[in-house]
Amino acid sequence: MTNINTRIFDRELKKGSAELLILSLVEARPRHGYEISKLIEARSGGALSFHVASLYPLLYRLEKRGWIKGQWVEKAGQRRRRYYKLTPEGKKVLKAQRSAWESFVAAISRITGTEHA
Amino acid sequence: MPEWKPEIRHRLASLDLEPSREAEIVEELSQHLEDRYAESLTRGATQEEACRAAIAELSESELLTQELRRVERPAPHESVLLGSNRRNRMLGDIWLDLRYAVRTLGKNPGFAAIAVLTLGLGLGANTAIFSLVNTALLRPLPVERPDRLVTLNYAAQRQMLPAFSYPNYKDFRDRNNAFSGLLGYRFAQLSLSHDGVNERLWGYLVTGNYFETLGVKSALGRVISADDDRSPGATPVAVVSYKCWRQRFGGDPAVIGKNVIVNGRGYTIIGVAQPGFSGTEVIVTPEMWFPMAMQAQIEVGSQWLDDRGWKTVSLMGRLKPGVGVRQAQTELNSIALQLESEYPDVNEGMRVTLVSPGLVGGEMRGAIVGFAGLLMVVVGMTLLLACVNLANLLLSRATERRREIAVRLALGANRFRVMRQLLTESLLLAAGGGVLGFLLAVWLAKLTAAIKLPIDVPLATELHVDIRVFIFACLVSLGAGLLFGLLPAWQSTKTDLGQALKNDASFGSLPRSRLKSGLIVLQVALSLALLVGSGLMLRALRKAQNIDLGYDPRRAIEMSFDLRLQGYDSAKGREFQKSLLERVRALPGVESAGAANIIPVDLHISSQPIFIEGQEPTRLADAPRALTSNITPEYFRAMNTRLLRGRDFAEYDDDKAARVAIINETFARRFWPGEDPIGKRFALGGPESPKMQVIGVAQDGKYTGLNENRWPFVYRPQWQYRVGATTIVVRAESDSQKMIALVRGELQQLDPNLPIASARTLVERLSAPLLPARIVASALGGFGLLALLLAAIGIYGVMSYAVSRRTREIGVRMALGAQRGDVLMLVMGQGTALTLIGVAVGLLAAFGLTRLMKSVLFGVSATDPLTYVGVAALLTCVALLACYIPARRATKVDPMIALRCE
Repeated sequence: MTNINTRIFDRELKKGSAELLILSLVEARPRHGYEISKLIEARSGGALSFHVASLYPLLYRLEKRGWIKGQWVEKAGQRRRRYYKLTPEGKKVLKAQRSAWESFVAAISRITGTEHA
Repeated sequence: MPEWKPEIRHRLASLDLEPSREAEIVEELSQHLEDRYAESLTRGATQEEACRAAIAELSESELLTQELRRVERPAPHESVLLGSNRRNRMLGDIWLDLRYAVRTLGKNPGFAAIAVLTLGLGLGANTAIFSLVNTALLRPLPVERPDRLVTLNYAAQRQMLPAFSYPNYKDFRDRNNAFSGLLGYRFAQLSLSHDGVNERLWGYLVTGNYFETLGVKSALGRVISADDDRSPGATPVAVVSYKCWRQRFGGDPAVIGKNVIVNGRGYTIIGVAQPGFSGTEVIVTPEMWFPMAMQAQIEVGSQWLDDRGWKTVSLMGRLKPGVGVRQAQTELNSIALQLESEYPDVNEGMRVTLVSPGLVGGEMRGAIVGFAGLLMVVVGMTLLLACVNLANLLLSRATERRREIAVRLALGANRFRVMRQLLTESLLLAAGGGVLGFLLAVWLAKLTAAIKLPIDVPLATELHVDIRVFIFACLVSLGAGLLFGLLPAWQSTKTDLGQALKNDASFGSLPRSRLKSGLIVLQVALSLALLVGSGLMLRALRKAQNIDLGYDPRRAIEMSFDLRLQGYDSAKGREFQKSLLERVRALPGVESAGAANIIPVDLHISSQPIFIEGQEPTRLADAPRALTSNITPEYFRAMNTRLLRGRDFAEYDDDKAARVAIINETFARRFWPGEDPIGKRFALGGPESPKMQVIGVAQDGKYTGLNENRWPFVYRPQWQYRVGATTIVVRAESDSQKMIALVRGELQQLDPNLPIASARTLVERLSAPLLPARIVASALGGFGLLALLLAAIGIYGVMSYAVSRRTREIGVRMALGAQRGDVLMLVMGQGTALTLIGVAVGLLAAFGLTRLMKSVLFGVSATDPLTYVGVAALLTCVALLACYIPARRATKVDPMIALRCE
């Protein structure tokens, strides 16, 4: 992916799916930014990685929309961290996006995938 | 571990985020980088590699800013406090601000106390002077619809007086359609005897429609009605003021129907006027009202109800609904024209002007406005000075607090929020000062009510502190708070956060110190102007002590009474005066004793037109005028007035002898220059009056005021004229208080019912004409000293602050070999320069201010160089002393400590 066009494609693709990724990751429990980026990287097997520059503006935007809520949490012996959790509204959005994404992926794979006779 | 924050902050700089938001983002991102760095290390990377990996996270920083800009820019920033809607938040903020302000000021009680005290003095002075203005000029008469009342002024031939003759009054009253009522009144001196007490007081003769037109009711009994004012001398009734009823009759309801003796005749009290009403002039308060029909009985020996030429009644009208002042004036003037054609000899050129009521037809308005204006300027300047001083103190404090302010700004407070906080503090101080000032004003008002003015007129000295005064105090406090708070608040929030947080010593020093220097100059200038003013007054007072009065007030006493008021006719009165003088002259220690109807210095000495034989003017209005008084033999000796030529009056100069007069030097010089006036003849009052022959010339003197120009003066023999108001003057070696007691005893033996108007030394008498000057001098002096103190504190504060800021610099200089003298010069030089600029500006201001004072300066020019130079020198010395103390401290700086101190 060194070619510039691929990079742009990659960025756009990530953008389109990133909201869904993040919402899904904070669904189970609140997580902080670094944790989210590590999870994305780990679970995608390194295929997807979010740098500071793309992750945090996205978190702030979701927060502003009221889908997630960030909160500074102090744990003993650690520096305080900002944990993001899913809001009830975010939950609804996640549900809708997830089903949209699933039908989208299904549609795309029907077009691009190998045809099973 | 590397420090990520500066790097991140650097990349976010272009976003110009709210400081709090920025801090939050920076913290979050730096943690991210830290985590990345730590992780790289645990995976076995070198520190350098780990660092590079972390920084790589920021690699697409233009993307970061671009994305953040999209998200963050529109975000409104203001920390949400107490509730969510705007109003709640604002109230919450104000509450927080207030609590914070109280805490901050509480931490620095000395500062708070000085601030509140300074402001309190300044605001108190302003409020007190304003309550004077309020009492004299703004407060309406306590009657129904005072805005519909007008006072009539008589204007004819360059003459303006608030008086009309009674017959003219009746014609105006009956012919006009503009007024629903036109009333008349006149001051009257009363001697009241009741329950074995003799008192002298003032009252009004009023027309029968007086109370009805004003809409003033009685608190007890009834008021004077038209029926009481029908036939002359027929209705001896009186209404007393509420205050008089409480003070002189003990508030006894049985006062109604009570018989009292007034001016030698019995009257029945028919009513007590409603509380608060004390006549139709604002500051001259009568205590009793009588029907105009009793004029001849109240003013014993004079009758003018039928005299169309005797202008003596003050008129006040109530405009009919829908009638304007201009319309009324036009109508009255057409009546005046009719009256002029009907009675051309006495009504020549009569015109009417309408003025607002309450101040003797506007005659006194000019004087009071001028006097109050001068005082307002003075107290205003003092307040300004106090504000400037506080602004300076706050600036110094703001510099100390700049770290605190910077932290607050960094944590996300916006600038106006911090300014509001700082302003809350100033306004809190102002409120404290305002409360103190208001209490001070109330106290001063109480104090003035107790003042017995050394003048023979019932002036209402009590100041009315009412809602207007309260509002004034609030507004001025608010204005002062903004004035001294706004500038420092603006300045101290204009900070460069980075530098302020680092506590950089050079921070903001230049522009701010220029501002402070400007304030110092202003302070010096203001206090110089005030001090020059009081210096001039003090010199004028000193001069006044040595002024040539034309008599010697030392070792002499006076006692005055009015025989006419006690029912004496001229023959009996003359008898009384002669026997009293005989008895007094026989007292031990008495050198001489004489009497006069009026003695100088007295504003009431009246002037009359003079008609010199052979030099008669063509028109009465063109006749020159002379002051006059009637005196007994030996009066000149008692007053110690030198008789320059001719002879004194003798006992034989009585009504059977030829009319004679003694004139003063000015009279002789003006009308018979280069001639011997003895034997010349002239008439007083009118060309047809009996001519009198000059038999002597007395030295010039001061007659109506200490600042007057030379008046021609005519002394007439008392025995040739009506006897009434009498002042006897006794010159004696012995103690004056003992003498007063002795003379009083003689007087009471002759007539136990005679009220004594005044009994005092001639020196005490002089305090009356000097009163305005004394008030101005003490006001200016007090405020000038306050100003000097404030300026000294201000200079000291700024200089010692400057020294503390320059400790390091001074240490370096001394380490490099500067001597103590050099350091002293360095610091003093700065202060001296400011002081001298201030002095120069102040001299100019003083020049402007003192022009207002000309009328109260006796024998001292408003530009008296001695005062200017003296005050400038004094102020410079005080200012230099205020600089010297910090300067000396600077020379004590130990270079080693100074160099180590930062």
